[in-house]
Amino acid sequence: MEKVDVKICYGTMCYVMGGSHLEMLKDHIPAEWADRVHISASPCLDLCHNTENGKAPFVSVNGKIVSEANIEKVISTIKVVIKDGLYQ
Amino acid sequence: MKGNRFFVEVDAFLKKKEGQPVCGDCFVSRKVQNEHRIVATLSDGLGSGVKANVLATMTASMAVNFISRHEPIERTAKAIMRTLPIDSKRMMSYATFTIIDVRHDGETRVVEYGNPKCAVVRNGELFQPHRNEMELDTDKADKIMYSFEFKAQKEDRLVFFSDGVSQAGIGTNYNPFGWEEDQVHQYICDVIADNKYISAGQLAKKIVRQAVSKDILKPKDDTSCGVIYFREPRKLLICTGPPFHKRDDERLAGTINGFDGRKIVCGGTTAQILARELKREIEVGMMAKGGLPPTSKMDGVDLITEGILTLGGVASYLENNANTSVKGEGPAVDIVRMLFDSDEIHFMVGTKINEAHQDPNLPVELEIRRNVIKKIKRLLEDKFLKEVKLEFI
Repeated sequence: MEKVDVKICYGTMCYVMGGSHLEMLKDHIPAEWADRVHISASPCLDLCHNTENGKAPFVSVNGKIVSEANIEKVISTIKVVIKDGLYQ
Repeated sequence: MKGNRFFVEVDAFLKKKEGQPVCGDCFVSRKVQNEHRIVATLSDGLGSGVKANVLATMTASMAVNFISRHEPIERTAKAIMRTLPIDSKRMMSYATFTIIDVRHDGETRVVEYGNPKCAVVRNGELFQPHRNEMELDTDKADKIMYSFEFKAQKEDRLVFFSDGVSQAGIGTNYNPFGWEEDQVHQYICDVIADNKYISAGQLAKKIVRQAVSKDILKPKDDTSCGVIYFREPRKLLICTGPPFHKRDDERLAGTINGFDGRKIVCGGTTAQILARELKREIEVGMMAKGGLPPTSKMDGVDLITEGILTLGGVASYLENNANTSVKGEGPAVDIVRMLFDSDEIHFMVGTKINEAHQDPNLPVELEIRRNVIKKIKRLLEDKFLKEVKLEFI
């Protein structure tokens, strides 16, 4: 089974706007999903330049951009991917 | 030193007498920028504590100021002695000094007054240049001043210390007459034989700690040591910020790839430009330390950090600390550690403005990169005597 690819942006803008809390994301992933989610980070996802992408911090879940990301928002996006098979 | 075949590293370590609030020895060094000279002085004030500190600080500061301006040494010494305040109990004023003046071509002049003889170590052995005596027209107990000159070679070291080192352990069973100059000199040679490339700061600290251990860890006098180390410069390149024109991305990557020394990249976008140009993977850490975004790794680069916040942290550390022994953790501290371990620091600063950072609602820490780098440059040059080059791209 393919893993859900979660990429956190650790660029300056995202970090200042609250992305620093996202390093705790791994601890909040439900145990039954632990093997199905791969969390990594990027030095910069290069999304903050374009206002159409929304506001920082950004996280990419299987390529789907989560703007103004927090742990709850990211987990619900992962849930959509796992339950509904979206963004595969 | 610019245009030199070697770098001159200067450092000192001072330890105050047990029970005193301040050290009665003083070390001052200055880089005379336009002449590419370095002048350093170690002074030991009469007695210990605050009075001694005042005498030593005045002596060291005056000596460095006078010698930097090419005043003759006799005139300097007389001016210092006439200026020092007289101790109300002992009815005298006195402070010893060792003055070292290093020219850009390695020509070095040393003047000693009252301090133990300094050691010049060449190829692991003591090198004894001829010492000239100079009699001072003064009413002080010690009237003789010694001076010598030599042309420094790469890997030479000049070690000078206060009598707290040579008299360490005096009166104990092991060292009834103290550590003594000759034995200190032998110890210096032994330490260098064990660690051929020991830095000036590490050597100074090792000598003072050895002296303090002879006093059973409670120094009976102010104990200080300064070291001047003539050596191959250690180079560091810090690249931060994307180039103004995209066509310069390749030049940036080429500079990093071809640099002969250690390399740091500060900035996510800069790291990605590099990864794209050099076709290398970036491995981003997940755990933040020191309140800053985590560091990343890439083949051929020693450290990759976030940009402006981390550089702001570096500037603030350099501004608030005078000591080169770095404490703490996090990306900014890692950069500071590498800066202190380097002699020639080259900044390559991309001038493209990140428009997303210009939002007035964002924290003030997001300053313009160029300003932060200029501040770091000034601190490294003035406070830590580093050679800094700045290039905007």
